[in-house]
Amino acid sequence: MSNQQVNITVRNLSVGYKKGKSFVAIKEGINVNAHSGELIALIGSNGIGKSTLLRTLTGFQKSLGGEILFNDRKLDSFSIKELARVLSFVSTEAIRVQNLRVWELLAMGRYPYTNLMGTLTDDDNRIIKRAIQQVGLAGYEDRMIDQISDGERQRAMIARTLVQDTPLIILDEPTAFLDIRNKYEIIHLLHNFVKTENKTVLFSTHDLNISTSEVDKIWLMLDNKVVEGAPEDLILAGNFDQMFHSDKVYFNGESGDFMLRKNVIGTYTLKGAESKIFNWTCRALQRIGLVYTETDPLVVINIPSEEKNMVWEIEIDLTEKLVCSSLYELTAELGKRLSNH
Amino acid sequence: MLKNLLISRDFLLFGMLGLLAILLFILDIFFGSLLIPFKTILQVLTGTGDVNPEIRSIVLDFRLPKAITAVMAGMALSISGLQMQTIFRNPLAGPFVLGISAGASLGVAILVLGFSSVFTLGLFTISGSWALVIVAWLGSALVLFLILAVSIRIKDILTILILGMLFGSASGALVNILQYFSNESMLKSFVIWTMGSLGSVTKSQLNVLIPSVVIGLFLSFFSIKSLDVMLLGEQYAKSMGLRVRNARFLVFTSTSILAGSITAFCGPIGFIGIAVPHIGRLLFKTARHKILIPSSLLLGSIVMLLSDIVSQMPGYESTLPINSVTALVGIPVIIWIILKNRKFSSV
Repeated sequence: MSNQQVNITVRNLSVGYKKGKSFVAIKEGINVNAHSGELIALIGSNGIGKSTLLRTLTGFQKSLGGEILFNDRKLDSFSIKELARVLSFVSTEAIRVQNLRVWELLAMGRYPYTNLMGTLTDDDNRIIKRAIQQVGLAGYEDRMIDQISDGERQRAMIARTLVQDTPLIILDEPTAFLDIRNKYEIIHLLHNFVKTENKTVLFSTHDLNISTSEVDKIWLMLDNKVVEGAPEDLILAGNFDQMFHSDKVYFNGESGDFMLRKNVIGTYTLKGAESKIFNWTCRALQRIGLVYTETDPLVVINIPSEEKNMVWEIEIDLTEKLVCSSLYELTAELGKRLSNH
Repeated sequence: MLKNLLISRDFLLFGMLGLLAILLFILDIFFGSLLIPFKTILQVLTGTGDVNPEIRSIVLDFRLPKAITAVMAGMALSISGLQMQTIFRNPLAGPFVLGISAGASLGVAILVLGFSSVFTLGLFTISGSWALVIVAWLGSALVLFLILAVSIRIKDILTILILGMLFGSASGALVNILQYFSNESMLKSFVIWTMGSLGSVTKSQLNVLIPSVVIGLFLSFFSIKSLDVMLLGEQYAKSMGLRVRNARFLVFTSTSILAGSITAFCGPIGFIGIAVPHIGRLLFKTARHKILIPSSLLLGSIVMLLSDIVSQMPGYESTLPINSVTALVGIPVIIWIILKNRKFSSV
């Protein structure tokens, strides 16, 4: 099943929830696609309906209109048992079962395939062993699931979906609660088995920076529509700018990430060659609210020419001059002086 | 390698627990107000030798049924506790806490107090016994399905536990009202029932109790696989292809039969249902029901037989109420659970 080519087509889908006897649509007219070998990130601000869309795609919740096609077959025509062989799922909920070994958790993934008593065959054991190795948990088989780190537990949950052997894997915020290293590693892991196993993996996330560097496609949920495309397509089309209506946060099309809007306290220009010092001096100045300009700058800074001699020479308003030996000193001094200007 | 080692450790443990259960079963028959030599008891049990018919009657008509009842009660209550802990993903769930035993009491109260005393007198016949267990099943099922109905709307496990307690208290209140309005003879037979002990189960009642417990346990064997995935919660279970509603129905039916039958004949017995599955988890270090169900069966029998032996107070004339003994055995285990997971994590 898992090596089969799959196409998921979402056509004019409405998702929402049931309130009393009526239905409240959160999002309507969703048209997106997914194919084998694609890692897809679902991105959108909090409360925009990411989880609702994922729950609808996994069949936990009924759609309010439109259709979801899995290889041209309607998703709601699948029985629960058929669905379990087509898609597997990792939720945001942290599993804290006591006395459950990593190996036992993974064995649960064979549920759709085993007999009434859940007896594992040699094949099942082989599949479990392979999944443990794929997520880098070899040697953890007998560790208790509540006694490993959050990152390791998340890997185990992902390994369980590999054991379930479905062409489509859906994960709700798999990188939430993880530290930076684990965030990267988890996304990288997903990226790897999308390519090696030809699976389709869809996950929701808030980690824009990490996802734009690894995913094949983004489904971006905006207020009035859902757009899809390569991360770069969406950046070039300016779609991320529409994500938040905020005067505090904006999307920086250069760096590909969201930034805080600062109160501008002045303009600057740098003198010196392009280097690591040059770049990080720019970042420090932007952080305190200075904007780069080439004409008529308020602050002119000579950056150190070599790392051995870290001296920044600063001229403010063509009058004041000062010398700083660290960026900490530089930002502190400039901040103090320019707020008086 | 390590896995083989673990499996053999499990086998060894099961073997030891099995031997312990058999030993305690024989000891339970041995202890009583009348001292019968061990050899004589073995002779009666194996049907050899020439034994005084009175002694034979004490062993076969009183002590043996009581020991069998202890085993039945231990197994049934432990399995209902285990099933409830998994379904509600709460280490403190059990038939007593969730009000399932109270529901069974309500069923019995309605039968005993609500209907004519003719029926009451019939309690000690076969048909009367069946009537008794069936109302107890219905009472337990009523509480369980009320909790289920609420749990569809409210996901918070603590809330569900509290509601279970409230349903239990409500059943208790209804029982009190029924007692208030009933006549003296009905009241007397009901009060005797509430004080019920393992020893009050007659041989003819065993003909009803044993098949009931066997049916309940049989149903629980079919839940072994689904209980495992239900540990991860409803969404995961569903995503792995489990029809959660059907699976729950099976587990609840089994629990109602098990807890209801025991409550019907022995009165409400607390704490065994909560405590025993935890002893099993502690010994076998697993969450798989393939291991937890048989271990709860053995440990339940062991704990119940032990409680019964203690309640005999060997060497004394009188006996302690079995309820108090199981409470004293179970409560330390529960305190240990609470101290161990202060964060209230799942089973």
